[in-house]
Amino acid sequence: MSYLELLKLASTEAVVVVTALVVLAIGLTTRREATGVTVATAQGDQNVGGSSSARTNAICSFIAALGLAIAIGTALMLPRKATLFSGMLVITPLTSLFKIICMALAFFAVLLTKSEKSLRHPGEYLAILLLATVGLMLLVSSEELLMIFIGLELLGLSLYVMVAFDKTDVRSAEAGLKYFLFGSTSSAFTLFGISLIYGMSGITSLAAISEKLATVSVQPLLAVGIVMTLIGFAFKIAAAPFHLWAPDAYQGAPIPSAAFIASGSKVASFVVLGKIVLVGFAPLHGDAAWHAMVAGWSPVLAALAALSILVGNFVALAQSNLRRLLAYSAVAHAGYTLIGLVAGDREGFSAALFYTTTYAITLVGAFGVVALVRRETAGDDFSNFSGLISRSPMLAGCMSIFMLSLAGIPPLAGFFGKFYLFSVALRADAGHGLLWLVAVALFGSLISLYYYLIVLKVIFVDEPSLAIASSPDHLSPDLLQRIAVAVLAAVVLFLGLMPDALAAGLLAAMP
Amino acid sequence: MNFRIVTNLWLIPAVPFAASLVILSLSKARRKTAAALAVAGQIAALAMSVLAFLPTLQTNNFRVVQNFTWFTFGEEVLRLGFVLDPLAAAMLMMIALVGLCIFVFSIGYMADDKRFTRFFAYLSFFSGAMLGLVIANSLLLLFVFWELVGLASYLLIGFWIERPSAAAAAKKAFITTRIGDMGFFLGMLWLYNRSGTLLFYDGGTGCLESAGLALLGASATFIVLLIFFGAVGKSGQFPLHVWLPDAMEGPTPVSALIHAATMVAAGVFLVARVYPLFSLGAINGVTSSLTVVVWIGVTTALMAALIAIAQADIKRILAYSTVSQLGLMMVSLGVGGVPAGIMHLLAHGFFKTLLFLGAGSVIHGCHGEHDIRKMGGLRRVMPVTFFTYAIGMMALSGVPFFFSGSWTKEEILHATAHWPRSHAPYYLILAGIILTALYMTRQIIYVFFGNARAASDRVHESPRVMTMPLTALALCTIFFGVVLTSAWPWLHAYLTGEPAHFEITRLIQPMFFVSLVLVSAGVVLGIWMYRKAGAQARDRPAEIDPLEYAQPALFRFLANKMWIDEFYGRTVIAFSWAGARLSDWMDRYFWDGLVRGFGAVGQLFAMFTTSVDERGINAGVDETTAGTRGLGRLLSTTHSGQIQIYLGVVAIGMLALLLLYAWLA
Repeated sequence: MSYLELLKLASTEAVVVVTALVVLAIGLTTRREATGVTVATAQGDQNVGGSSSARTNAICSFIAALGLAIAIGTALMLPRKATLFSGMLVITPLTSLFKIICMALAFFAVLLTKSEKSLRHPGEYLAILLLATVGLMLLVSSEELLMIFIGLELLGLSLYVMVAFDKTDVRSAEAGLKYFLFGSTSSAFTLFGISLIYGMSGITSLAAISEKLATVSVQPLLAVGIVMTLIGFAFKIAAAPFHLWAPDAYQGAPIPSAAFIASGSKVASFVVLGKIVLVGFAPLHGDAAWHAMVAGWSPVLAALAALSILVGNFVALAQSNLRRLLAYSAVAHAGYTLIGLVAGDREGFSAALFYTTTYAITLVGAFGVVALVRRETAGDDFSNFSGLISRSPMLAGCMSIFMLSLAGIPPLAGFFGKFYLFSVALRADAGHGLLWLVAVALFGSLISLYYYLIVLKVIFVDEPSLAIASSPDHLSPDLLQRIAVAVLAAVVLFLGLMPDALAAGLLAAMP
Repeated sequence: MNFRIVTNLWLIPAVPFAASLVILSLSKARRKTAAALAVAGQIAALAMSVLAFLPTLQTNNFRVVQNFTWFTFGEEVLRLGFVLDPLAAAMLMMIALVGLCIFVFSIGYMADDKRFTRFFAYLSFFSGAMLGLVIANSLLLLFVFWELVGLASYLLIGFWIERPSAAAAAKKAFITTRIGDMGFFLGMLWLYNRSGTLLFYDGGTGCLESAGLALLGASATFIVLLIFFGAVGKSGQFPLHVWLPDAMEGPTPVSALIHAATMVAAGVFLVARVYPLFSLGAINGVTSSLTVVVWIGVTTALMAALIAIAQADIKRILAYSTVSQLGLMMVSLGVGGVPAGIMHLLAHGFFKTLLFLGAGSVIHGCHGEHDIRKMGGLRRVMPVTFFTYAIGMMALSGVPFFFSGSWTKEEILHATAHWPRSHAPYYLILAGIILTALYMTRQIIYVFFGNARAASDRVHESPRVMTMPLTALALCTIFFGVVLTSAWPWLHAYLTGEPAHFEITRLIQPMFFVSLVLVSAGVVLGIWMYRKAGAQARDRPAEIDPLEYAQPALFRFLANKMWIDEFYGRTVIAFSWAGARLSDWMDRYFWDGLVRGFGAVGQLFAMFTTSVDERGINAGVDETTAGTRGLGRLLSTTHSGQIQIYLGVVAIGMLALLLLYAWLA
């Protein structure tokens, strides 16, 4: 294969990497200027430095957004099917679709960055965000364990930095540390699991592993390998009990980082987890039906799903900070999504991907609203949202769309996500073996309605607290960000009205 | 010509919906923007309706269907679609045009309201849903829009929520129509069960096409009667008509748009849309389901016309008149005169809107007074309103030749007279026509003629923004008649898909004389009865109605709406209350105990998990970070051992999963 052809097929990743480098360079050069000015005018350094940083931020975000848009364009022009380096990187309709989705999510995260005042080095931040996006793309487009691990690490290392990026906030540092320790431990488990699998099968390509495993009898070491591999992903998707990092990361990290972790990182992890279990570990599917449990990865994922749904929803009930609430609800949603993988087959996978995609869109939107409210009121507790309806009917309306979609109220995307998942799970087994899991999930959704509606009650019914009502920084029309939030709300509504627009595409793209 | 809109019909309802969403997100102070957006959305919808209307003129029996997959689950594919045919196109034109007039009128009428923006958001929302309803090519999609217009109606009837009567009327409307919708929904499920599709037209396999109809068999009668029950609720037919007069608590433009011209006509439209189901297996054009439609219609038409005679509220009279006219349309559909019924629906849309907006103008001028006995002599102070109102009144009464209403009424009479099963509906309708002329004459005399009474003080003509729509609608009312005449029955031909011929000799039909006699009788009777209304005559005090003076018992019976509300109060509602009290008791003492039990378990679990998460694990880490300033010290404290709890969970979790795996293996 010629390098030119390689460049053509990897052009999407290349564009994003180049953009990252350009953004980094701009960030560094303008920063030097800013320092120079600060030295010159010792008196007004805070002022000058601030405005210069805001300008850098604007330029860098614009370039990053532009780069992502171009990369999305190149992704649209990729061939339908291609294989690079004997399966290290593949191009299929599924990978192209999810590359575009990941980049779109990153695009919105970049838009959120624009208004984040606490980021003192926007160039570096955006460069890392773009590198994390490359990690996402490597993850979704690989069918080879080693490459997947490299993607995981690129993503993980970028995210650790992004979480701890706000150097003015001690909570950001704490979150970063927790995320890092937890993540590196999980990575270690995963790497160990992968090496065991490699030891058993002698190969790292998923399809070949599947063939090998079909002939191998069940051995304890193989079970250890599978469970350990899954743990790394359970950490990434924040499934209980590997979720402990999530509340702090969601609350402490800069908002774009939190939005990115909750959306892009999750979507890509589900894509690759689905590939690993449904392609690589296909012979060891097992059965999670209540009357006929058979050892395999599906009872393991079913246990994770049930525990995540219960823990996530119950703990979310007790939260009074919106970002913590979103974190625990994310745990629950990871549980719902796993149901699709447990159900197995193409339909289950496509239902899980539909769910996680709509969930990611919803959550980026919700974080967008949080970011705007935080700018106005300097906080993201419930009290900061009280009476939002009178301050901004638009944001309140969008937030209610996001919350109701998360709760699964028709006609919003979340409803059809749950509908597909549950109906797939019920039909997966002739004896309705997964009924127990669906029952747990329905029970969990019932509980979740309570805390989502509490958020809406705070927004629509509660009187704004005095401190907020008299805050002078009342109107800070960040038009671009408002438009982004409105667009996301419209997408959530659209996918609820016309679920087939995405669901049919997903099903068709399934291998 | 290439009409893109035909293949993108969804745009027509989408534009008002979008306008509504944008208006909702505006702040209350942006009144001008809100009104401009709403009117612009409506103009766009009208323009697109015209563009959709034009291609339907080019060929007879024009029908374009666009179906799409809504969602798939397993093998089931649920499809929805939009359809454009003469019926849909004619309805689109009427709704968009009438809607536009009402939007403009509302700018003046609602000028002082503090929730002005909200009002226009709701109006746009309604308009979108109504436009969607008429182009739906699936019973399910139609039902969705049907419920959306119901929601809009609920919101707008209760718009002045601070009035207890408005809130009660909104609830009554919502619940009463919901009873009908229950039937509609059951009928829809049954239809889906039998035919496997809810698409109307789908290249020969839709539920209204021969292949789909063949699957129904004998169940068609029951299915269609269940669906008709939904139409009874929406179109205010007996016995579910009670909500419509109360719905007049809403602002007058709302009454005009929703409760006169469009939404209440949706029931009639529904019957016309699924007419192949009604006429399945018809012998000589008669089926048992259609016979039910005829008798419900006749009962409603006559009963409502009688009640209208004894009402004093200017809007309530018009409301009962609407109920009566809708009954007339149902009769026409039932006897087989589908085009006549739809033509009357369209004509009625124009002149009833005109009357309601005229009534709104009167109410606006009289500073909110609704009682016609307190008005009087308004024709001198409100000339525009008076002239336009008189045109509307004559169209409604069916004064022959000049007004659209007369032509459609003649067609209905013609169709009814030839119904093979019975002649009774024909004669009852004749009586209804006399009554219509009578109550309209009474109303006009009370409001515009005679001496000025209490509310006629300081009355002024309404502003231009209100009189302009009145004039436009009056012109529509007259000139719409051009396409209805028996000499050139263009609309009839358009709806039935035949070419129209002009033949002057057919201009005067026998029915022309019948209706001329009937209307004259009604008007003369009215003038004779009410010539001294509102003034003292002989020993009758001024505030007593002449009919009340002559026949107090009859008048009381009619003025109290035949005591139907009271009857429902003693039966259906009392029964529901008893059921509600029983359920309440069960809830308090039985279910609540269960729920509390479960809740306690849940709470315990939540407390447990929270404390493990937040105190046990986080606290370890939090304590190490509390009071720290920098990352360096934070890192050093991780050696304290607390973080190990945190990571220990990972190990325990992994062990548990391994045990699970091993246990199953």
